[in-house]
Amino acid sequence: MKTLEELRKLREKAKEDMKMRSSNYKIKIVVGMGTSGIAMGAREVMKTILEEISKRNLTDVLVTQTGEKGLASLEPVVDVIIGEKEKFTYGNITPDKVKRIIEEHIIKGKPVEEYIITANE
Amino acid sequence: MQDISLHILDLIENSCQAESDLIKIEIIMDKNEDKLIIKIADNGIGMDQETLENSQNPFFTTKKSRKKKVGLGIPLFKQNAEHCNGKFIIKSKKNKGTTVIAEFQLSHIDRMPLGNLADTFINSIIAHPNIDFEIHLRYKSKETTEFYLSTKEIKEALGDDIPITHPLVYEYLKENFEEGIKKTYMEEL
Repeated sequence: MKTLEELRKLREKAKEDMKMRSSNYKIKIVVGMGTSGIAMGAREVMKTILEEISKRNLTDVLVTQTGEKGLASLEPVVDVIIGEKEKFTYGNITPDKVKRIIEEHIIKGKPVEEYIITANE
Repeated sequence: MQDISLHILDLIENSCQAESDLIKIEIIMDKNEDKLIIKIADNGIGMDQETLENSQNPFFTTKKSRKKKVGLGIPLFKQNAEHCNGKFIIKSKKNKGTTVIAEFQLSHIDRMPLGNLADTFINSIIAHPNIDFEIHLRYKSKETTEFYLSTKEIKEALGDDIPITHPLVYEYLKENFEEGIKKTYMEEL
């Protein structure tokens, strides 16, 4: 069984990590997790985002959820918010598309135009 | 919804939006009584009697800002449970919280699979770091096993400097839930 002791060790490791970089969140990823989003596969999308972030140890990315936004036919919907102003909304997202968005947009800073529904820059 | 874990996720989202700070989830697989019971209890804003009755009606939603005036989450889950020789109970008190209990006949041929519970729980925990979750899985047969996880304990062990959303915590949660799900035989049905 995983113990809380392991978490305390993990905490030390994370603290070491944090010393090396400033860990304020720079990027926010928001997944639409309303009933229609869930029915269309938003949980798998969320899982892939979390796995990619964990794998790459991206401590400056915050992942969160929101409810229905009235974009039911475009679900699953994912917002990528960079800093205070830039907001990109991606639609009809799948786990494979997530991998591309993480690689190209989150890591390299280049939005994946073909999946974007709206962008406010 | 293809499975029960997705319905659970949908209900947890309702609880989160009701301004809860503690959500208790209990899943009981009772082979002796041939029942599968799912309980989700929150301490959020709750509903008055009228909203409570309406919540089971698909053409009702409290979400004023959207065009689509339907709310299918609760009615679908209710229908699924009742169709499987089970029942669906929703209790709520204004400013106290809401509890949903869905009961299925475990062996019913139309019962949906449980689905991936680990994904549902991890999703909710990481997306709502300010809400505490108490998750209890129980298996009852000739032998009885159980699994319990409290995010409050995890947050205490992590201390103030590491948030539960930290990427390193994800693997810990995943392994923890996978072990618990295996121990309570909830992975394959």
